[in-house]
Amino acid sequence: MPQFILILNVKANAFIKNVTDFRLQSVFKNLSSVLIFGGVALGVFLLSRAATGYLLQQAHIGLFLFHRFLSMLLYVFFITVNLGNMIVCYATLYKSEEVTFLMGLPVPHLTIFAVKFIDNFFYSSSTLLLLGLALLLGYGSYFGMSPWFYLFTFAGVLLPFMLTAGVLAVIVLMILIRVASRVGIRWLLAGIMIIYLSAIYLYFSAVNPVDLVQQVMKHYPDVNAYFGYLDPPFVRYLPNHWVSEFMYWTVAGDPAHASWYLLTLFYILAALLVTAWMVARTYYYKSWVNASESRPPGSGRPGFLQVRSMEFGREGILPRPADVVLRRDFWVFFREPSQWLHLLLMFLLLMVFLVSISSLELKLTQPFLQTISYLVVFLFDGFLIASISLRFVFPALSLEGDAFWCIRSAPVSLRKLYWQKFIGSFLLIATTAEILSVASTSVLRDSPVLILVGSICTAFVALGLTSLNLGAGAYFATFREKNPIRIASSQGASLTFLAGMVYLGAVVALLVVPLNRYFEILIIRGTTSPGWLAIPLVAVGILTAIVFAGSTGVGLATLRRDF
Amino acid sequence: MTPTIQIRNVTKRFGSFVAVDNLDLSIGKGEFFGFLGPNGAGKTTTIKMITGLYAPTSGSCLINGFDVHRDPVPAKRSLGYVPDQPFMYEKLTGREFLYFVGGIFSMPVAVVKERIGEYIEMFELGDFIDKRGEEFSQGMRQRIVLSAAMIHDPGVLIIDEPLVGLDPRSSRLVKDTLKWRTTQGLTIFMSTHLLEIVEELCDRIAIIKKGRIIYEESRGAARRSNGQLETMFLELTK
Repeated sequence: MPQFILILNVKANAFIKNVTDFRLQSVFKNLSSVLIFGGVALGVFLLSRAATGYLLQQAHIGLFLFHRFLSMLLYVFFITVNLGNMIVCYATLYKSEEVTFLMGLPVPHLTIFAVKFIDNFFYSSSTLLLLGLALLLGYGSYFGMSPWFYLFTFAGVLLPFMLTAGVLAVIVLMILIRVASRVGIRWLLAGIMIIYLSAIYLYFSAVNPVDLVQQVMKHYPDVNAYFGYLDPPFVRYLPNHWVSEFMYWTVAGDPAHASWYLLTLFYILAALLVTAWMVARTYYYKSWVNASESRPPGSGRPGFLQVRSMEFGREGILPRPADVVLRRDFWVFFREPSQWLHLLLMFLLLMVFLVSISSLELKLTQPFLQTISYLVVFLFDGFLIASISLRFVFPALSLEGDAFWCIRSAPVSLRKLYWQKFIGSFLLIATTAEILSVASTSVLRDSPVLILVGSICTAFVALGLTSLNLGAGAYFATFREKNPIRIASSQGASLTFLAGMVYLGAVVALLVVPLNRYFEILIIRGTTSPGWLAIPLVAVGILTAIVFAGSTGVGLATLRRDF
Repeated sequence: MTPTIQIRNVTKRFGSFVAVDNLDLSIGKGEFFGFLGPNGAGKTTTIKMITGLYAPTSGSCLINGFDVHRDPVPAKRSLGYVPDQPFMYEKLTGREFLYFVGGIFSMPVAVVKERIGEYIEMFELGDFIDKRGEEFSQGMRQRIVLSAAMIHDPGVLIIDEPLVGLDPRSSRLVKDTLKWRTTQGLTIFMSTHLLEIVEELCDRIAIIKKGRIIYEESRGAARRSNGQLETMFLELTK
């Protein structure tokens, strides 16, 4: 135990030194973090309160349906925390130099496991924890809850709920690494992808939100009653259900009923912690050895992917050195399993999104609702593009890594290198974004004007988000970190993602009034008036130009820093 | 002798810490220059400023008359660099890495191919050249990075600890190659802690301590041998 406390103490001191560093650059970084995280938390709080008010007072969906929607949201939240912890756990518990160092010391493996698990949980979940708290505050303030409710629900419900997802992730990961040593990492990763996609698909197929709404609304106006018999049986065993039930019975004024779900959550968390302890005692060291000895697929030889036109030693289309930088980026990307597997996963999620949205009926008759549905779809497109940019564009400069000396000491213009990275990233992001925009906008209205407006806005958003992620990625570059997932989940990356959300929010704010006016004219009078959409497009263009100039300026200036 | 490397009144500060203090050196064409000093003296900082990895707080570093920071592209065109840690792209094979570096120096593909063949033979890279960097030992990396530093036939070679991780045979090979290259006009600026290597290879030396030059040998000084340098180094740096 003293070793455990000593290591945690060293880590805590390092953290405190970091946040109390009063050099100008650090103060600027910390202040920016506080402003952006605080701003987003405030936004989520307001949105959560407004959405709760709208659904209960305007849409009259009732307490039961409201908490079932909350349960669905919590399910996605649980999967996100779980997957995030699993991905970051691999880097933290298995591939970190700190673990290698500690393994060489007389420190029990279980102590190393416990320290790194805590480190990992707070590293990968702190942003989600903040967003969860903001959501909770918005929800509670609508119902006029006492301060004790927030304290208790945060520490006693939200934290255990997220910890359950984290503990489950580490248990599964330890077992998977042991299994991977027998079946091979490729099959295993493919299997995990299929399991997670199936988990999302099966859950939403079983709970069937559309059918649930119809069933409950048959009882209108008595929709505040409890319709638990409509829940599919397996849902009762899920942590998101326990949390939403706790909330439902708390606001329904039945604390005895609520506490039953709370106890269930605690029991399961305790059981999972004991299980994690037992699995770690048996498997952590063995799985660490497996992970240390494992070679990435295709290592030791050029690789299984053969693209002759991209091989080195061929005359290229681009002039040198741009040509060899392109070839290097291509091979470094496709020989790193975490890169192409994530890319594949993200494209699968895009496909799921497009298939899901195409089956929805979104051609509405009320202008305001049509505006809302248009902007929600646009925002979701933007969210996906922001996620892809964060994952693949933000780490682009950091991934030059320790070998960046090679470029920095060579006769290469760093500005050209930056622009090459920008153009390559922008073309990929913009193409994906445009496909997404055209496909998703066309299900809202068969209007060429709306498709065009969506397409122009998407091009701006792709430009804004690419420049933001590349510029911020250069500013927060960590050349020592080899793992792109850890780079994309660092504090700088979280900050960039939130800044991207603020930018998207501003774009939506610029569009909402003119778009509503456009739909009023279209739906009520039956005529189109594209003029209403020209001014917001110009405004979005100006906003994007500001984001682009600021981010690119910062990115280019950063390249002059010492390496 | 025309100076190939000129370091003019260079100072580098990190906050209030002065890592290099008003350094002034010039190294002529074909000279093998040894740059010595105890740990933390400012050797690697100086090398990083010459290669453009650090910007000097004041002063300038010139390669063939071009300022590395104001005019980086022409200055670096004739520069080869071997860092203290031979990092390379782990997902590229040794051969791909050499093609990459050749391309960075805008060399024609056919010439790069020919040079790779020469270096495979010179540094005995044949057994591992087509494996990925992530498989390499320190010595293998060092040999690949040395080949990469010389593939474009530079006029100036900056080396930070060239023999780290090399076995005796490879070490001999590297020493002979470097010495032979200086007779062909290559200027070498080498930082190392191995004093016997300096005695064997260098034409001239300077010793740095706490960021300041405390000893600089004049050109044509008598050659040192039998551990004289070690005695002098220990005396000067105590």
